[in-house]
Amino acid sequence: MWEVIKSVLAAFLGVQREQQRLKDFERGNPVAFIVTGIVLAAVLVGLIALVAVLAAG
Amino acid sequence: MRTLLVWLAGGLTLAGSSQVALANGWNMPVGVSSLSGEIYGLHMTIFWICVVIGVVVFGAMFYSLFRYRHSKGAKSANFHENTTVEIIWTTIPLLILVGMAVPATATLQKIYDPSDAELDVMVTGQQWRWRYEYLGEDVAFNSNLATPRAQINGEEERGEHYLLEVDEPLVLPINRKVRFLFTSDDVIHAWWVPELAVKQDSIPGFVNENWVRIEEPGIYRGQCAELCGVDHGFMPIVVQAVEEEEFDSWLAERKEAAAEEAMGVDREWGMDELMERGEGVFGSICASCHQPEGQGAPPAFPALAGNEQLIEDADWHIDTVMNGVSGTAMPAFRNTLNPVELASVITYTRNAWGNETGDAIQPSEIAERLEE
Repeated sequence: MWEVIKSVLAAFLGVQREQQRLKDFERGNPVAFIVTGIVLAAVLVGLIALVAVLAAG
Repeated sequence: MRTLLVWLAGGLTLAGSSQVALANGWNMPVGVSSLSGEIYGLHMTIFWICVVIGVVVFGAMFYSLFRYRHSKGAKSANFHENTTVEIIWTTIPLLILVGMAVPATATLQKIYDPSDAELDVMVTGQQWRWRYEYLGEDVAFNSNLATPRAQINGEEERGEHYLLEVDEPLVLPINRKVRFLFTSDDVIHAWWVPELAVKQDSIPGFVNENWVRIEEPGIYRGQCAELCGVDHGFMPIVVQAVEEEEFDSWLAERKEAAAEEAMGVDREWGMDELMERGEGVFGSICASCHQPEGQGAPPAFPALAGNEQLIEDADWHIDTVMNGVSGTAMPAFRNTLNPVELASVITYTRNAWGNETGDAIQPSEIAERLEE
């Protein structure tokens, strides 16, 4: 699970190790990545909204 | 290493010359409002960040190009990826952008906070003049270009404030928070006065807000900053910032004059006074399209002198001036001019340049039609 999160965060930044990338593709099931991606994107939006609310407060 | 120093020196020379550019008016002004200095500081901070990045990036590039050139036997490295370097060149710009966003957001928050204003001024763009309305004070006027046509046509030498002068400036007090409400009667205009650090679109059907607290008395000039038609360059802005007491007495004077004007609606006006007043209104409002002698500029701007429909049909004439003609450049003047101004300019155009209808249109008649 932690490996999946790390890969998704790396994708957010846009940089990934070749080794890790190859390992990710061995899992064969993309669902974990898609679900993690959607959840982390929501977390990111929430974080930005939180910062905006704090800044505006 | 020596080469790198040469490039750095070159970069510093460029930076030095930008100081000269500031003095020459190439840069934005520091301005005279409570926020303009902050906006200027923000602009300069980001400018210098860009300069440093430019010097470092191009310095490194030119140094590498020179130091590792082919003629000195340099061999190109051949590798596919380097995660560490990639993370570094992704993270550094991220930090720089966040670092710039923090002070920029702090300033933007101040710009977007027009609360607690002590004076509200409605600014309406119209092809091609600005209209200012001091809300709640019953004071409103149009601010027209004052540069003589002869200067524009090249028949006279250009004055000091060529195309940056108006018949009636916007008068504002210093040290008071003034809120602007921007809108437009026709197309999109933009009210821009660099010294006040205010540049805001005025859009038909929308009301945009901005505010200013001027700190130094003086005359500040600006222009329409959104291409709005043929006379886009001929609708300047002049702000006259005065001491608070001076502003209060000016506003009281204008209120009194406005009240007097309102009383004038009910009385019977003579032909001569209507003609005299109408000539002034025509000159500042109508002449830029219909030309000073009413000859027009067909096909866009029809002639008024000798216009048969105008001469024969007073009712149509009044309706046209009040409500405009949709699909043409003729705007509705029912909200721009008061009944006295409407009546006098209609009377003037019905009797000038050989249009001898003899009609004296009364302000009271116009006031009645405005209420319909």
